[in-house]
Amino acid sequence: MATRAEFLGRIRAEVRRAPGLFPATPAPRPERPAEAAQAVRRQMTDRWPGALERFQEEFALVSGVFHRVGTMEDVPSVIRDIARQKDARGVTSWDPGQLGIDLRPSLEAEGLSLVAAPVHGDNDARARYREAAAAAQIGVTGADFALAETGTLILMSGPGRPRTTSLLPETHVAIFGKSRLLETLEQVGVILEALHAEPESARRGAVVNFITGPSRTADIELTLTRGVHGPKEVHAIFVDSL
Amino acid sequence: MSDQALRTPFSERAGAALRDTSLQQALTLATTKFIGLRKEAFATYPQGERARDQARAIKEATLQRLDHYLNMLADNVERLGGHVHWATTGEEACETILRICRECRVKTVVKSKSMATEEIELNEALEHAGVTPIETDLGEYIIQLAREKPSHIIAPAIHKTRGQVADLFSRVLKGQFPADPEVLTAVARKELRQKFLQADMGITGANFAVADTGTIVLVTNEGNGRMVTSLPRIHVAVMGIDKVIPSMTDLMFFLGILARSATGQKISVYTTLVRGPRQPGELEGPDEFHLILMDNGRARQIASELREALYCLRCGACLNVCPVYRQIGGHAYGYTYPGPIGILLTAMLKGDRAVKDLAHASSLCGACQEVCPVRIDIPRMLIELRQRLDRERIAPLAERVLFKTFAQVLTTPALFRLAATLGRLAQRPFVRGGRLQNLPLVFARWTKGRDLPPVAARTFSERWRELR
Repeated sequence: MATRAEFLGRIRAEVRRAPGLFPATPAPRPERPAEAAQAVRRQMTDRWPGALERFQEEFALVSGVFHRVGTMEDVPSVIRDIARQKDARGVTSWDPGQLGIDLRPSLEAEGLSLVAAPVHGDNDARARYREAAAAAQIGVTGADFALAETGTLILMSGPGRPRTTSLLPETHVAIFGKSRLLETLEQVGVILEALHAEPESARRGAVVNFITGPSRTADIELTLTRGVHGPKEVHAIFVDSL
Repeated sequence: MSDQALRTPFSERAGAALRDTSLQQALTLATTKFIGLRKEAFATYPQGERARDQARAIKEATLQRLDHYLNMLADNVERLGGHVHWATTGEEACETILRICRECRVKTVVKSKSMATEEIELNEALEHAGVTPIETDLGEYIIQLAREKPSHIIAPAIHKTRGQVADLFSRVLKGQFPADPEVLTAVARKELRQKFLQADMGITGANFAVADTGTIVLVTNEGNGRMVTSLPRIHVAVMGIDKVIPSMTDLMFFLGILARSATGQKISVYTTLVRGPRQPGELEGPDEFHLILMDNGRARQIASELREALYCLRCGACLNVCPVYRQIGGHAYGYTYPGPIGILLTAMLKGDRAVKDLAHASSLCGACQEVCPVRIDIPRMLIELRQRLDRERIAPLAERVLFKTFAQVLTTPALFRLAATLGRLAQRPFVRGGRLQNLPLVFARWTKGRDLPPVAARTFSERWRELR
């Protein structure tokens, strides 16, 4: 095995030998990422209704199911209806603090069981949660961003927001409000630049997932089939009051 | 492809593919559908052309400072608690993974689709060492059960019909499964779900790696990439050094064009950005993260004629439009990467000798360059590759002499006129239906696989003289 210095030295030698095919620079990045991200957010305070409309269209095109409710108090009844439709009993969710609502009282009143993710935990807690997420039929999460141009939900992992809540159950339900709406991938780029420019935060997990509709494959004769490994259904609940 | 299969000459492999009726059916169906989906996707994406230019510039700019960006990527991965390994060859990459397997007592490995691990034949190496690799992309799973190799960069089992998959599943998984993609997909889901939950290690490739943040980017539709990076206690990512890009801003340009080129989707279902192992406070994710930065023949092409092939995103668009790939499919090429770009990548990874015949498996029609998301000039490089084969005396003697003579004739007006006159006489017995067929002697091998237009009754220069 080469050391880093040897490996990079060899590449440097090759790079120096080659003049380059044409003058080129990477994409121009925001000089002050935090300010650029603020500007995007300000833009969206006026533009979100259009973005929501586009999100709905694109989300439907990738087989997403869209719901709109007035306040967080209305969310449990949407989940209850989905559960009835799916004949589901088990629900798992992010930590209530991360989700913005404690679903337990209302779901349990409907005869549904809920396992909420712990905020912290050791190996045992991880094994327990994995078992619960694998057994649950519905996984409820928030969404850090909803990208209109592609109908994409963007979720960041972190304490109280496990990766598998949106992955192992057959149905994924994501809750978000207007402040999460973005119009373009370019804006997502600005936001991610700003996020990475911040000092490292213990609240930040290792993974950011862009989720665009249910899991799908076309590996057999290019026939579209849903739910090969991940969820077979993805629901988005837009909450006006958020 | 086994060595056995490679011992048959390319023309015979191609011939066998042409006679395989179910392969022909599957190829036409798939490539035609892919072409339509891609076309539609770009038709509704007006900024697509600018994004393609930008993406191309990003790739070139990265190559111009490749050592710098790889160094930055490694620094950031290590800062996040990951381990970085530098593999000059494919063998070194395999050995590194086997060492991690031994040290961490790994018995089973789940893999998400990765051309880099196909390239280094990692599965064979793992099996040999007593570790069980399980492919989890549905297409890869199918060909692993069939003990075959992928025949398309993004649709590995494109050569199989649903009937063949049903027979395969019924035989290997011991059941009676109908030829229904929905049912067969559900069977695979159930089989593989348990494997995800039990595996010790997850192995992925990387579609991109963002130097500035130390992020590995995985693009999948099935969600297996997420499983593989979330559930096992160790995650190993294997990437060619050509996959690094500078920033998150750059990444967004690629996300806008990658899926549109590959499957006609606006974006794939899952784009997963992974930074290192499980971070403090997180419940889930691997204890360990290893990034293997692999050269395996890439670096020496930075200053060569094949430089541009290092821009490749592995989207597969050039395969679908290639008149050769559409006829013979991926297996006939005989190596990991098929299609027009595959010929260049094979020359890069396996050396020029490996593409002695393949370098000619192109009509140079230019369709590949037209659809390439980063506008790689594949036809130019194929011509340069042919020249290189000639220079390196890898091309057969007859071919080299023939082309040298041909060039001499074309560039000497007197010789050209003489050749036209002689050719017109000599060709007479061989013109059938307006084409030259079955030429004798050294020309026989040329016309065995293709027809030639005959010398015209009156050449252009003869007509030109009359007109003047």
